[in-house]
Amino acid sequence: MNNLEKYNEIFTRLFSVEESELNEDFTFATVDKWDSLLHMTLISELEDTFDIMLDTEDILHFGGYVNGKTILKKYDISFED
Amino acid sequence: MFLNLDRRKEDELVGVDSSDAVLTVGELNEEKMKLSSLLSARSIVFILCNNTVGALAAYLNTVRLDAVPVMLSSKTDKQLLNNLYEVYQPAYVWCPDGNDRFFSDASMVYQAKGYQLYRTSNALYDIHPSLELLMTTSGSTGSPKLVRYKKGNLEANAKNVALAFGWTAEERPLCDLAMNYTMGLNVVNTHIYAGATVYLTNENIMSAPYWDYIKKYQLTNLTQVPFGYELMLKLRFTRMDLPYLTTLSQGGGKLTDKTFETLADYAGKTGKRFIATFGTTETAARMTLLDPALAKEKIGSIGRAIPEGMLMLLDDNGNEITAADTEGELVYSGPNVTMGYAVCRTDLEKGDEFCGTYHTGDIAVRDADGCYYIVGRKSRFLKMLGYRVSLDQIERLVKDQFRIEVACTGSDDHMLVFITEDTRKDDILSFVSEKTGFYRSLFEVKVISEIPKNDTGKIMYKNLI
Repeated sequence: MNNLEKYNEIFTRLFSVEESELNEDFTFATVDKWDSLLHMTLISELEDTFDIMLDTEDILHFGGYVNGKTILKKYDISFED
Repeated sequence: MFLNLDRRKEDELVGVDSSDAVLTVGELNEEKMKLSSLLSARSIVFILCNNTVGALAAYLNTVRLDAVPVMLSSKTDKQLLNNLYEVYQPAYVWCPDGNDRFFSDASMVYQAKGYQLYRTSNALYDIHPSLELLMTTSGSTGSPKLVRYKKGNLEANAKNVALAFGWTAEERPLCDLAMNYTMGLNVVNTHIYAGATVYLTNENIMSAPYWDYIKKYQLTNLTQVPFGYELMLKLRFTRMDLPYLTTLSQGGGKLTDKTFETLADYAGKTGKRFIATFGTTETAARMTLLDPALAKEKIGSIGRAIPEGMLMLLDDNGNEITAADTEGELVYSGPNVTMGYAVCRTDLEKGDEFCGTYHTGDIAVRDADGCYYIVGRKSRFLKMLGYRVSLDQIERLVKDQFRIEVACTGSDDHMLVFITEDTRKDDILSFVSEKTGFYRSLFEVKVISEIPKNDTGKIMYKNLI
């Protein structure tokens, strides 16, 4: 799996959604299921999968599917489409 | 007089919230005067709470006007709310603006600070003269069971907890735990009693605005349930620059020893206080706290009784255990012990059934220094994310919904639901997650061939694997 596939797999599994639902509008504010527990689980899975450790500020601002990719790029995780 | 409010100057702040709205003592008193002709004393009043100054004013003035609040979340599941409404037939409902859809037969009589007061079509009915407030025990598991607070419970616990913590009017506490949750209400009450301003927020701990709020107002006190501390550690908050923070307090369930130690260490190194406490809804919040100077030495302890309170341990025969390090049921006596439970309207006429003594159902030990440690539970409930969840209640809900055999066990962070029909596994997982309002990963549904029972048909929980 490439990075995008890994990234998408975590989202589709944790949120029980189809890949087609992952877009600009998939955010902490708009997705009901995205509560603090799920947020923590998401961060842990991303850290384990990509072998990184996110800074506090990045965890707090990891507010959406699209925005999350931008944050991970800071940790040298690239998403070739 | 309630929480020393009558002693305060008109321009003092009682509360601030994360929309920067404020509530002064003068505004609160003016509202009280207006409401005195609109809100009947000794009536039942649903308050659909969120953490804003509007909800704070609604709560404080309802109690001050001798009406009886039922503290509920503004996010209460519609079905549960309708059920509670049918059972307790409140004469009034306070709710946030735009949240009035449940009460079509009600008319609005007052509106201020984002909250509306509705008079419903329900008539007033007789309730016990000592009844002060009603609180749910179980998050949102659909039970209409309420704890009956008597007059003086809120004041006594506010006073004694404020005294034990050494709160002054200078405190700036973060109030992010819900006001309709016993520990959340206690944080509010203890600080108002001490003459301080409370800082309310609905922001999520895993979001930037939550931490911005703490920094903006230089908040001094945090109170969290174990889950909140797990999240904070995940955020590596021990590396954050929080120079104004002086007290970290914990309640609402047992921390893991590792987390307890991490917090005690962090507090020790940074010159802050870490204070573990123990409370229940039935005791109008807190019963004990651990002296912060002992935190590093007594990992996992809940400490000793608060002022005016008394703890003891009872053996299976109900005899007091005097020896150290011996397990027994933790029993508490004090002025904050409530009157008992209600499951229906007529229960609100009942008097004091606890009579100042509450059997917690928790198994504890006391060390040679008189500090207590919770080691297990006598009764069948879990404390998930700080909320008490009855395993029997979940079983009943699943049975009613799916008409199948079911048995629930597990730990505070992982409930196990045993069933015998493979086909319903995912539906049941969704159902228990929805009914409790907790995320699916806290539950596991296991399919087994048969629910183990003894000769009398009782489920043998110890045999469930």
